Amino acid sequence: MRWATRAGCHVDRAACAWLIRRFRDPGAVFVFVDDPVEVPADATPFDMRGVELSHHGGDCSFETALRVFGLADPVLWDIARIVHEADLADERFDAPEAAGLDVLCRGLSMMLDDPAMLAATGPLFDGLYEYRRRALLLGREPS
Amino acid sequence: MVAYQGWGVYGGGVAGSVEWLLLAYRMPREPSTPRITVWRKLARLGVAKLGDGLVALPADARTQEQLEWIADEVTEAAGEATLWRSRLTSAAAERALVERMAGTIAAEYRAVISAAAEARASTPVRAQTAARLRRELRRISQRDYFPPAEREEARRAVESLITEAAVR
Repeated sequence: MRWATRAGCHVDRAACAWLIRRFRDPGAVFVFVDDPVEVPADATPFDMRGVELSHHGGDCSFETALRVFGLADPVLWDIARIVHEADLADERFDAPEAAGLDVLCRGLSMMLDDPAMLAATGPLFDGLYEYRRRALLLGREPS
Repeated sequence: MVAYQGWGVYGGGVAGSVEWLLLAYRMPREPSTPRITVWRKLARLGVAKLGDGLVALPADARTQEQLEWIADEVTEAAGEATLWRSRLTSAAAERALVERMAGTIAAEYRAVISAAAEARASTPVRAQTAARLRRELRRISQRDYFPPAEREEARRAVESLITEAAVR
């Protein structure tokens, strides 16, 4: 399937792309556009104004995507808390990891184009998933 | 508010150099919760209020994205919102707006500076208070588009408080 989002990916789009590829569509192909009207007819848009997989009711796109895809995995919701704060910093959640994730994504986006950005942030979110999975199992921060 | 000062401000013919984003929005009076949520988000971003339902921020990729999301939130709450890119026709009016924004932020920094002084006077200096002020400082600097001199002063005040809290 093809998926489309805005060019110049930052944390929310990178997180959504990782989510899509890992939990929804392993063969996902991503298209980057500058304007919503450029979204190809066969592509599903995300993190763009006026589409389903986007910000809604104060949620970031990653949170919306979890809801729309019906993903109840508590590890993903735990990551959603971090992505929300990294993206919006509205202090809805206590997520001290958010500031670090935000900086890492900003830095990578300065060096890399969008496909390379998603390739680089994939393992970052894989690692975050593994870390938060262990933390939830242990009930404390894993060493 | 930047007052219209006739020739004083608009006669020079020199346009402003900052590109601004203007969010014009209107929301139903009731329910009030979405309206308050939107205003809190705008305040956290440090917007300059230009009038009823009209706010401004200097344009960059981040401010544009944040204001676009807020515009959508307004629309979702049965309101109307349009986001504009603009430039002031007068450099003097722009200076006044920038000074006003810097002045608001400077007052926030001064509040941190005096809170730090107060915390320093009490013994022992509580690490929690120091950490809270550091968070507050970070919040302020995220909406500080035209850093005033107080920024560095507030940073030093909080850092020395942190050091003292660690020593005692």
